[in-house]
Amino acid sequence: MSAATPLLRLRDITMDYAVRVLHQVSVDVKAGTIHALLGANGAGKSTLCRIISGLTQPTGGSMMFDGVEYAPRTKSEAEAAGIQIVQQELNLIPTLTVAENVMFGRTPHRLGFVNRHEQRQQARRALDRFGLKDIPVDQPVGELGIGQQQMIEIASALDRECRLLILDEPTAALSGGETERLFHWLEQLREQGTAIIYISHRLEEVVRLADEITVLCDGRHVTTKSAKDVTTDQMVDLMTNSTEATSPVREFQSHRTDRVVMKVNGMTREPVVRDVSFTVHAGERFGIAGLVGSGRTELLRLLFGADVAEQGNLQLNGEPRKFRFRHPWQAVKHGLAMVTEDRKETGLLLAQSIRMNSTLVSLKQRFQRLGWINRSGERTESEELRRRLDTRCNHIEQPVGTLSGGNQQKVAVGKWLVEEADVYLFDEPTRGIDVAARRRIHALIEELAAAGKAIVIVSSDLEELYETCDTIGVMSAGRMVGVNRRDDWSTEIIMRQSFAGYGSSTEGAA
Amino acid sequence: MKTVQRLLLLATLAMGTVLGCAPGENGGNATGSGAADSGKPRIALIMKSLANDFFSAMAKGAEEHQAAHAGEYELIVNGIKDERDLSRQVALVEEMIAAGVDAIVIAPADSKALVPALRRAQKAGIVVINIDNRLDQEVLEQEGVSIPFVGPDNKAGAKKVGDYLATKLEAGAAVAVLEGIRTSFNGTQRRLGFEEAMKAADINIVASQSAQWEMSQANTVAASMLSEHPEIKAILAANDNMALGAVAAVQSAGLDHPVLVVGFDNIPAVREAMKEGKVLATADQHGDKLAVYGIEYALKLIEDSEAEVEDRETPVDLITAEDLGE
Amino acid sequence: MSNPPKTSRRSALLASVIPYAGMLGVLLLLIVIFSLSSRNFLSASTVTSVLNQIPDLTVIAVGMTLVLIIGGIDLSVGSLLALSSSIMGVVMIDQGLPLAAAIPASLFVGSLCGLVNGLISVKARIPSFIVTLGMLEMARGFAYLATDSQTKYIGSKVEWIGTAIPGLAISPAFLVAIGVVIAGQILLTRTVFGRYAVAIGTNAEAVRMSGINAAPYSIAIFTISGLLCGVAGVMQTSRLSSADPNAAVGLELAAIAACVIGGTSLMGGRGSVIHTFFGVLIIAVLQTGLAHVGATDPIKRIITGGVIVIAVLLDALRQRKRNSRAQ
Repeated sequence: MSAATPLLRLRDITMDYAVRVLHQVSVDVKAGTIHALLGANGAGKSTLCRIISGLTQPTGGSMMFDGVEYAPRTKSEAEAAGIQIVQQELNLIPTLTVAENVMFGRTPHRLGFVNRHEQRQQARRALDRFGLKDIPVDQPVGELGIGQQQMIEIASALDRECRLLILDEPTAALSGGETERLFHWLEQLREQGTAIIYISHRLEEVVRLADEITVLCDGRHVTTKSAKDVTTDQMVDLMTNSTEATSPVREFQSHRTDRVVMKVNGMTREPVVRDVSFTVHAGERFGIAGLVGSGRTELLRLLFGADVAEQGNLQLNGEPRKFRFRHPWQAVKHGLAMVTEDRKETGLLLAQSIRMNSTLVSLKQRFQRLGWINRSGERTESEELRRRLDTRCNHIEQPVGTLSGGNQQKVAVGKWLVEEADVYLFDEPTRGIDVAARRRIHALIEELAAAGKAIVIVSSDLEELYETCDTIGVMSAGRMVGVNRRDDWSTEIIMRQSFAGYGSSTEGAA
Repeated sequence: MKTVQRLLLLATLAMGTVLGCAPGENGGNATGSGAADSGKPRIALIMKSLANDFFSAMAKGAEEHQAAHAGEYELIVNGIKDERDLSRQVALVEEMIAAGVDAIVIAPADSKALVPALRRAQKAGIVVINIDNRLDQEVLEQEGVSIPFVGPDNKAGAKKVGDYLATKLEAGAAVAVLEGIRTSFNGTQRRLGFEEAMKAADINIVASQSAQWEMSQANTVAASMLSEHPEIKAILAANDNMALGAVAAVQSAGLDHPVLVVGFDNIPAVREAMKEGKVLATADQHGDKLAVYGIEYALKLIEDSEAEVEDRETPVDLITAEDLGE
Repeated sequence: MSNPPKTSRRSALLASVIPYAGMLGVLLLLIVIFSLSSRNFLSASTVTSVLNQIPDLTVIAVGMTLVLIIGGIDLSVGSLLALSSSIMGVVMIDQGLPLAAAIPASLFVGSLCGLVNGLISVKARIPSFIVTLGMLEMARGFAYLATDSQTKYIGSKVEWIGTAIPGLAISPAFLVAIGVVIAGQILLTRTVFGRYAVAIGTNAEAVRMSGINAAPYSIAIFTISGLLCGVAGVMQTSRLSSADPNAAVGLELAAIAACVIGGTSLMGGRGSVIHTFFGVLIIAVLQTGLAHVGATDPIKRIITGGVIVIAVLLDALRQRKRNSRAQ
């Protein structure tokens, strides 16, 4: 199946920042294979990929690419050699059009003037190859959904000279149909002889796609195996500490009571959210499923007052008073909390410390007197939170931006735990984070449920909703088309409901 | 009424300069505009910064003169935002040409850069009179134009001030000079006048720096001069604002001997300081009349196109505390 | 500013001194250079003169630091200083009222203009750059209107504020400025207000989504900046014994330069009042030193500009190094 000599050889790659994050890692990647890179938070996957793609230089070790010494100092050097990377963070420029982004860095021009016609045509071709016929090339990227943006970024990378493709969590923002299209194309690339390094926390994807897997743990190479030889359980065992790995997935335990905490009546903001009503009880975990763009995030934003609803309201704790929040601070005042979808843009102060982020929400209620910050109280609480959530960091004064995604998410969630709310809204709480962090956050959500909180969870990951929820509401084209209790739901039902609002024109997905 | 006009003027100026309005859109307000089509000569007075006491007094003098002679001519007053805004002043000249005025009386912000624009004005048949800051003779010759200068001899004025100061100092004493902006003709003339007077009295100028005509800068520069040369007995400032800055510097330097300060322009604020004995002397070039002198000469030239065109000198007087009288 | 855990108290101490050390180094270097190249630079009178020159720039720069930290900018500070100063002049000379009335009037006018800046930029969501640019023009216009474009000589009634206290070598204005610096630093690092300011400048949307109503804080910061312009107006008026409507043209740039030399980010979220004070000192020493050696205006400008760029360059390099280490 694969050539005798590997396309990419890594030998003793070592990387030191403040601490050593990679310990003499050696891996071979063969042409025409999909090579999955697995590991928990901070295992060194991203760093390794950054080294391969020229974004960082290793402190030790060497690389061979296609039989020759390879030591890229910049991303463009790596690209010149035929190595493309699509990182987890999107690298698109929101104000530029789709075509400008796709052709970025290789803009067709004549005498220094952009050849717009050519630019649009080439971009169109690149997108069409990937079946993205519905994305208009003249639209600014910022106006598109995050899933579509991700697809554009991948299509753009694949449109370039590419012998080795690195994908870091490519499916995190994709809907089922989009994911399916991506897989189909990755399989095609493999047949054409391209090597693919694939990072994903969705182990089903790994099982389905990968030929080989390499597992990293704490910056060390654990093993490289043929994917056929490993089950998902074994994968989890390999990349987590053995103590965590052995603990089986816990049985679902409901904490739902009959006391209504939040009653949502006819929430509407055209055209994204239309007449949505539902109730959440104390201790209930209410999941919201639906395709990307079905209005789930927008619904949460309306509830939280981040956007203002045109119609509809919500009632809390069975009281007759009806709220339509105009600012998040009003929502927070009345006992709502929201963990946003995009932790970097709207959830965290990346440049600031863990401590400052942890106490941001509760500073005024808990850590001040007459405007003076109670610094020791603040520190104690932040430390406490760090222990409780098992946030991996050097110290709580570290900027949050330096943490790995999973640990960032723990901080983003943690800030709402200091001062307790009645209703917790989670938008994609575990997207793009590793298995251990994901388990930790799920456990936390359960703790909140056990404490009688009402919880709403929006997730594109059905497995996640199955594991964590009492009830799953399904949104489709802005409407809440179905609410399913634990005993009634099935993937088939939920998928059918998801597509219900779009009529027959929608193409099928997985 | 006056205040409203001033306000409008200031507002248009401020907006015009900051937003870079298209030329011709804000030609300023004509005072006495009710008689726009009466065939009276229209005279444009183009000033430096109207925010500066000296020039605002000059403009006020001109406006009063026009009010008293409303039957004889119309007056359009324009100024620039700060003294270094050359391009705006050039634009003002162009706008006045376009507006078809009969005469331009101008206090040029720069003695060289305004010449080409003024030559165009002359070509358009406009009488041009130079006041306040004398245009550079060489450039005038190069451009082949002659523009009469109506104004005071700054050098002679500065020398009068310097001579008076010298009578209060001993020979060999150390003094410092605060110059104006070095590219300005007046600044140079006043410095030369000071230097001449000091030389004649055998007094040493130990430091001479520009403070850009500004009070706060003069304060900083003078404070540094005094700490670098504590022996300084007097400071000669090329205008009164800088003199006031120097007075404050002397105050805070806390030297054990008095430091005399002289200025130039005789602005109201400096008269107060003179009454308190903090400024020794200044020169009055009758700023409020300078524009009037120019306007009168312009009217004469408009009336009698055969009249001989020549420079006219206007008086500069030494002002000391005694002159203020109680 | 930060307070790492006990693990290494010495390195923590070192870390908190290092940033200051850099600026102190620049300052010392300048002092050494000027001492060698002029006769009397290194003297008590120079120190006194520098310290008595800086209060107005210092308090304005403190306000500017706060505004920059929330990701805004205040271009109107120079004009507001001139307006406040003019109001003082009018109150004392034209109205004949005592200093006790003039100071509140000055502070009130400054705060009011700052409040207008804040209200418009925050409530109408217009970039503060634009709003304060408008205020820069308007306040200057009002200053001319108020004084009829005349410098007002006030004389000994205000001098004492800007004149060195006998035997102490520093003026009441300087003491106030130091007080403002300390208060500013405390406000920034120890209070909820300061914490929110930093948070707003780091990521305003995240602050909003954390359920914090940021608007009052932002408006308050612009108001504080205006108030400090009023304070600076009083200081400059007293230092020069005159109220000058032409005062402080271009002061906004000096204040921004001081902040930037001190490492305040123009993008918001990062800044320190103490560092800004060092920035002010560096600018003041430069100005005084260059006047001491008798540098011509072109040379002054070239050197001052160069020092600003170099200081910012050093800070940028330090930041980059820190970021790559944190990665």
